[in-house]
Amino acid sequence: MIALVLANLKMMSRNRQAIFWALFFPLLLVVVFGLFEVNGVGAADAVVIDQSESPGSELFLERLGEIEFLNLESGETDPAAAREKIADGDLGYLIIIPEKFDDSASVTLVYSTRNPDRNQLVDGAVRNLVSEIQSSNGPVVPSQLLTADVIQVDQVDYYDNVLLGLLALGIMTNSIISIAVRISTFRNQSILKRLLVTPLPIWKYFAAEITAHVALALVQAAIILAVGVFGFGGHVNGNLLWVFAIVALGSIVFLNIGFILSAWAKTPAAASGMGNAVALPMMFLAGTFFSTAALPWVMPQVVQALPLTPMLTALRDVAVDGVPIWETWPSLAALGAWIVVTAAAATRVFKFG
Amino acid sequence: MESAVQVENLVKRFGSLTAVDGVSFSVERGEVFGILGPNGAGKTTTLEIMETLQKPSEGRVRVLGLDVQASAAEVKARIGVQLQASAYYSYLTLKEILSLLGSFYPKRTAPEALLELVDLSDKAASRVGQLSGGQQQRFAVAASLVNDPELMILDEPTTGLDPQARRNLWGLIREVNQRGVTVVLTSHYMEEAEVLCDRLAIMDHGKILALDTPRNLINQLQASYTVKLTMDKPMTATQLSALNGNIELIQSCEQAEPKGKEAMPENTYLLRLANTPSALKAMLDEIAKTDLGLENLQITPVTLEDVFLELTGSELRD
Repeated sequence: MIALVLANLKMMSRNRQAIFWALFFPLLLVVVFGLFEVNGVGAADAVVIDQSESPGSELFLERLGEIEFLNLESGETDPAAAREKIADGDLGYLIIIPEKFDDSASVTLVYSTRNPDRNQLVDGAVRNLVSEIQSSNGPVVPSQLLTADVIQVDQVDYYDNVLLGLLALGIMTNSIISIAVRISTFRNQSILKRLLVTPLPIWKYFAAEITAHVALALVQAAIILAVGVFGFGGHVNGNLLWVFAIVALGSIVFLNIGFILSAWAKTPAAASGMGNAVALPMMFLAGTFFSTAALPWVMPQVVQALPLTPMLTALRDVAVDGVPIWETWPSLAALGAWIVVTAAAATRVFKFG
Repeated sequence: MESAVQVENLVKRFGSLTAVDGVSFSVERGEVFGILGPNGAGKTTTLEIMETLQKPSEGRVRVLGLDVQASAAEVKARIGVQLQASAYYSYLTLKEILSLLGSFYPKRTAPEALLELVDLSDKAASRVGQLSGGQQQRFAVAASLVNDPELMILDEPTTGLDPQARRNLWGLIREVNQRGVTVVLTSHYMEEAEVLCDRLAIMDHGKILALDTPRNLINQLQASYTVKLTMDKPMTATQLSALNGNIELIQSCEQAEPKGKEAMPENTYLLRLANTPSALKAMLDEIAKTDLGLENLQITPVTLEDVFLELTGSELRD
């Protein structure tokens, strides 16, 4: 069986075109999302709550609007709600101008630990501005210009969530499509039948295919994460080994699905189409790129039932929120159940000839 | 020692279709045994049951003394199989494929020795796609020998090959056989069966119609030559029957095209002739008497083709 695993790996590595495209598609998305600067590293969105409404605060507001990298948002007037938004990453900064602003009371700047570089920039700019305005009334005490109210959060941004989504997406599409196409090619060429006349036990055949493909999935995961992290500043907060363990589990589910599809596909082209038909809707429904909380009707339940959902949840729990792998056990159990169900279905429907 | 293959009352049904319909034969060790018949005769199904790929509906098949159902794994370990039109991994070299296949068996032959045997040593690092049709078939023979089998089963090994490549493969099969490997093969080429096989089963519509050495099958016909006669004018029934004696009319141009036969040109008659000089002379005398003018006369020795025609009433469907 080891010989077969090695042979499988050798064949995959020689099929350069297939490898390239398998890696290229998710990598392309990693780069595209990276280039879009989805985290708004340059521009900082801020809400200002003016409790003073004095000439000084108006001047302050006006000057604040002139700062290029600050996008002032209006609408939010409740400090508690704004703080929550900051904690969730939906808002960058909250600036509270106190009632006694003109009496050189200090401005409160609320921000999270998410983006230290930007924090420094905003902090400095706001501090300077306060100093400038209040110095016209007399001497200022630098330490009383600004009170920083820092909300501690893990270093997480949207890009990290997307990066893990892309990782799961890459593993899913590659596992489903590559195995379905490969097996249907082998069947069409009677290679499967040829193996069947050797004493190789069938389970060893499956095990070798799955082992080789899981190994490929791990390499793929490593490349996607490396490009995301080193190329575009993504973060993996959790234990990498656990991330890879979840990748392997998810990959097995999707390989089994690929085996099932290959049983129905009469040609490799049909197998590829079927693989896409299964993978693409799942990619959107399982919340790869955006939250699915707003989906109507029974869709949230459907989403929960998809195999990509527990894989994504587990990956984000471990890699983004940095929780230990055992705390995401419901997702792991769901993945395990999917493995059992799909393996049983695959062995039932699989045809050699 | 037990026979290499023993097939008893084998029946295989696929739904309402009976592919193999009560077949019995045995193959002795050391023989080259051929199953000859048109497409759809049930040859491949019979082989696949011997190879443990399919279950018999009825009857029993023993290979190397083992029941193919009960001892499938051991049967597989001791036989070598070449499937009809099966391919091999495209991204491995010949040597790698042979090593990989060998790794599935308890007993194995070195890839180098196998490639040497089939004269493909210089292609060890090539891939199957880079080989010619004849080389691919030779490689398939090598692949079926990775486990040093006692019995080799080849399903239409030469189909689709040009005559030279076909002869080349015959030589290879002979060589393998001389090394002590029993060979069972199917073919729909009469010439191939005649040249290659020690014994031959003629199969059609799931049944074995005859089983003997090629020579005996031909001798069964009690005729040694076929005669194709073309006259200037049509012969009457009386004139034709006058030709009779040692001569048997197989087909005349007046017959409406029978199934499986080609239509013959005008005034053409196909006859079968016993192997005696007097028979030939008698026929020529009778032809002279008719005064119809002999346009063309072809006399050819009887081949398995004629045996097949006799047994099945139709020519081999290619």
